[in-house]
Amino acid sequence: MTTGIGPSSLLPAVAQGDLTAFEALYDRHSGVLYALLLRILSSPEDAQEALQETFLKVWSNAAAFDPSRGSEIAWLIAIARSRGIDRLRSRRVRGERENEAGREISTRTGFVESTTGADHAIASQQRIAVRTALDELPPAQRIALELAYFEGLSQSEIAERTGEPLGTVKTRVLLGMKKLRERLQSYR
Amino acid sequence: MMIAHETFDALAALDVIGTASGEEHRALDGHIAVCEECRRAYDDYAEAASSFARGLVPVAPPAKIRGAVMDGVEPGVEVEEEETAERRRLADARWWLGIAATVFVALWIWREVGMRAAREHIASRDAEIATLTEQNTLLTQRNEKLRNELATVAAAGTRMMSLTGQPIAPSASGRVFVDSARHRAFVIFANLPANGEDKSYQLWILRASQPKPQSAGVFDVSPNGTATLSVENLPADNDVKSMAVTLEPKGGAAEPGNASYYVAGKP
Repeated sequence: MTTGIGPSSLLPAVAQGDLTAFEALYDRHSGVLYALLLRILSSPEDAQEALQETFLKVWSNAAAFDPSRGSEIAWLIAIARSRGIDRLRSRRVRGERENEAGREISTRTGFVESTTGADHAIASQQRIAVRTALDELPPAQRIALELAYFEGLSQSEIAERTGEPLGTVKTRVLLGMKKLRERLQSYR
Repeated sequence: MMIAHETFDALAALDVIGTASGEEHRALDGHIAVCEECRRAYDDYAEAASSFARGLVPVAPPAKIRGAVMDGVEPGVEVEEEETAERRRLADARWWLGIAATVFVALWIWREVGMRAAREHIASRDAEIATLTEQNTLLTQRNEKLRNELATVAAAGTRMMSLTGQPIAPSASGRVFVDSARHRAFVIFANLPANGEDKSYQLWILRASQPKPQSAGVFDVSPNGTATLSVENLPADNDVKSMAVTLEPKGGAAEPGNASYYVAGKP
């Protein structure tokens, strides 16, 4: 799969140990990944640690990236989300309560640009596209998907949280993902 | 086949946001490894799932995080190598230290065991030397005594007097070798009854110059009834009227406690 318009991937160079490419990769994607980790963890400290872990993992595992299977940013996001959800679950086991302040930070704080103007333009364009696709989802489907994606909840946990039957939750997740996939394909 | 693809398509949709069960995840993994169509569907769903993150307003992480990440990458490899080398050095040092400690303990134990054995050996030898010294002293004393007795018996002027068994011990006898010149005598007894542990035989000299018998010594008899006795400061011949042996309390008495003589005789 290809992602259509977008900057060329830096990961092959990173896989060769190119530190400059790695720095550029950080500058290009750290903002999105940090926003994601803030949204998942609701804690700047945790998010910053998870972000470091994410990029260290990227550095050591860049050779595993296969551009034919997805975009660079999707690959990075998958790693960051996995780190964030692991931390979140670990924290839940420890019984820590979530700090809602972090969630506000992810939506209130402005992004300090460190990418090039072209990259920023492309990123903004894509963000608008995915925001539109997400906004077009029925609220019930979107809520179910966000609970799964950002909080790492299972279908039964989502059912418990929303008070909906398990079968309904499964249907909403399935339909939501199919619609999202269709919408995003149409934007490419 | 279509049903299978639809099923795996649904599983892919669930799996990319982590809502597939473990069993479903494993089944999907196995399928997309061999099914190109479902693998593409999975990749599409994964790309779509990333839109939740891409839809967020980016937030610049603190500048220090960038520095920490960069420090943790290339230099980190060296640091890791240095740490690994250091750990290896420490492990080696600990290994050698362990061996040295073991050798030291083994040598110490060996030394202690050796010293203890040596000390025991020396103590044993000391005890043996003490025993031999004591035996040597006794043998020397016995040798001196025998030499004196022999000198008494073999002296040119030595004469002999016999002590004969009395009614209480008729088979008993005694021979007194008198060395008048040196005022000493050597007496050999035979066939005397065994004296009890609380008794001793005592030789008395009845003197012309004294009314009371004079003790010439005490002795015990061997199991076969023999005994010897050396007498020093023997009175002059003309002063010795007779000799007799009584059985007295252990160690002897100042004067005979009874008149039951076992052997007796006159010069």
